Amino acid sequence: MSDTPSPGPVKYIMPKWIRGPQDFIGGLAMVGIAVFALWASSDLQGMRGFSFGAGTAPRMFAFLLLGLGIAITIVGLVKDGEHITTYAWRGPLFVSLAILSFAASIRPMGLIFSAFTSFMIAALGTPETKWKQTAIVAICLTTFCSLLFPYALGLPLQMWPRFMIR
Amino acid sequence: MGDVFSNLGMGFGVVFQMVQWTPAFLGGMSIPVPVNILLCLIGALVGTLVGVLPGIGTIATVAMLLPITFGLPPVGALIMLAGIYYGAQYGGSTTSILVNIPGEAGSVVTALDGFQMAKQGRAGPALAIAAIGSFFAGCVATVLIAVLGAPLTKLALAFGPAEYFSLMVLGLIFAVVLAKGSVLKAIAMIVFGLLLSMVGSDIETGASRMSFNIPELADGLGFATLAMGLFGFAEIIRNLDAGSQSDRQLVQQKVTGLMPTRKELKDSTPAILRGTALGSILGILPGGGAVIASFAAYTMEKKLSKHPEKFGRGVIEGVAAPESANNAAAQTSFIPLLTLGIPPNAVMALMVGAMTIHGIVPGPHVMQIQPDLVWGMIASMWVGILMLLIINLPLVGIWVRLLRVPYRLMFPSIVVFCAIGIYSVNNAPTDVMLAGAFGLLGYWLIKHDFEPAPLLLGMVLGPLMEENLRRALLISRGDWTVFATRPLSAVLMLISAALLVLTILPSLRKKRDEVFVESEN
Repeated sequence: MSDTPSPGPVKYIMPKWIRGPQDFIGGLAMVGIAVFALWASSDLQGMRGFSFGAGTAPRMFAFLLLGLGIAITIVGLVKDGEHITTYAWRGPLFVSLAILSFAASIRPMGLIFSAFTSFMIAALGTPETKWKQTAIVAICLTTFCSLLFPYALGLPLQMWPRFMIR
Repeated sequence: MGDVFSNLGMGFGVVFQMVQWTPAFLGGMSIPVPVNILLCLIGALVGTLVGVLPGIGTIATVAMLLPITFGLPPVGALIMLAGIYYGAQYGGSTTSILVNIPGEAGSVVTALDGFQMAKQGRAGPALAIAAIGSFFAGCVATVLIAVLGAPLTKLALAFGPAEYFSLMVLGLIFAVVLAKGSVLKAIAMIVFGLLLSMVGSDIETGASRMSFNIPELADGLGFATLAMGLFGFAEIIRNLDAGSQSDRQLVQQKVTGLMPTRKELKDSTPAILRGTALGSILGILPGGGAVIASFAAYTMEKKLSKHPEKFGRGVIEGVAAPESANNAAAQTSFIPLLTLGIPPNAVMALMVGAMTIHGIVPGPHVMQIQPDLVWGMIASMWVGILMLLIINLPLVGIWVRLLRVPYRLMFPSIVVFCAIGIYSVNNAPTDVMLAGAFGLLGYWLIKHDFEPAPLLLGMVLGPLMEENLRRALLISRGDWTVFATRPLSAVLMLISAALLVLTILPSLRKKRDEVFVESEN
């Protein structure tokens, strides 16, 4: 289950009868996750006599989560609660991009390239970035990491791009 | 009693073990090196280094630093992790005192009076008392673990699968009761964690569950991946969101004069004693741990004080009590982990994750098969705290300087560091992407006021719970009443039920909320 429940477009204008939008949406998302898990484990074997099958426990937990999700949703409907806070887009977007770029480039390009690029991409996550300073820190960090992980900690990491080694 | 001493002796033997090091440049000469002490020292230093960064709590620190222990032998790795843990905790209280940004719930209370003291120019004594209180609490807790460890292990051997299952239920219920905020949401998080732990192959049949034929998911979700995503990445995103610079009111004046005055020492002594006692008890309870201990200790100290109105304006007791309770609880929470194999809180869950990566399954048998590991770890806890006292305190100037590093430079470094760390666990780029996804999930959870810590606990306990539930039902031939008919299990189940009912009762709920609200006023 690598999916992240996407919050979707959040509007301040929620129907009035939803008194705790934060809980309401949160509960609905839990229901969604539970239904997804039920669907994902539907092909697994259930109880065989009195012994558990592979699918028994996942389904049990999924049903529990379904019930809890419904309960949270109802609480969100009837009890005054928090409004949904705004989501920032800049931080999450660039941090995710940095992570993705690292994942995509570590194999073919090696540690030095991918550490430096993902540092620079992550730095886009805040408008306060000063580029010259950031570049210097990125170089220092890349050097530090390429000494720490492969040498000091003895982890097998490829340093340089593949085409340069050949 | 003799056992306790011989066991502790063995532990210190492991910690002080010398390894002959023969570097080439000395021409065959060998120098004895106390490797484990060095590891503990490095762990404590690095732990403080990361823990001191504002907004990064203990769990996030331990999760981020997990990969650097992978290359070590198991004993060394666990000793280093213990060092990291204490370093992180101390780093957290340093940030609360100096910057008023508690990295985690546990140090929120320390920030109340600690930051006020720092504003009055008494940051030095506040930090010193925090360290001294922690050290004292650590000493008491170490002895307590040594004394209680062996008998509890014997008790654990009387546990069958039904009892284990009931105990884990109790632990999870405790975690819910002691968690902040909505009970329903906390339970939902635990169940979500349990559900996530089901991904991968089934223990008995080997059938692949919910893995959608993705080979990387066939072995289940990596624990380190999940923890780093939910705590590391999510924290970074959230901090960016909060407008990192706006509320960083750093104490600008230099920290001078670490020594507390005689009066401060006298005032804080009873607070430290009470905090330690309370923390030790709360730490042993499954689901308890450091957070609730510091809240409870602060509240108790305020109730007992002759001048409760001064609390929140910079009294030394307000720092001494929660800090010692915090540490005592942190340490005694190792007891359920080492003797029963059940992690009582999220940090201990991380420890279990680390142990499994090294091929150790924590539980009563570890104490018998690998006593050097268990006792070595217990002894190293004490050494770790000693390290904090003698090394971190004088280095306070460096930590303060670190706090001045702007966040815009710090967060990309943390992102890259975490990414490399996750990648190095399995050399799998998919893990890095998964962690990124969990980071976004964690951000969403925080936005909707779901606490990620119970999720982590559920994730670790999931497989254990399933295994014991299956076994118990197999032994009883499908009879669910087994949990009520076996006396030990029945008692545990009754306590869980009673606790749950009590939390839902409105009057008690109000009390519970009061304890937590205390921190916000």
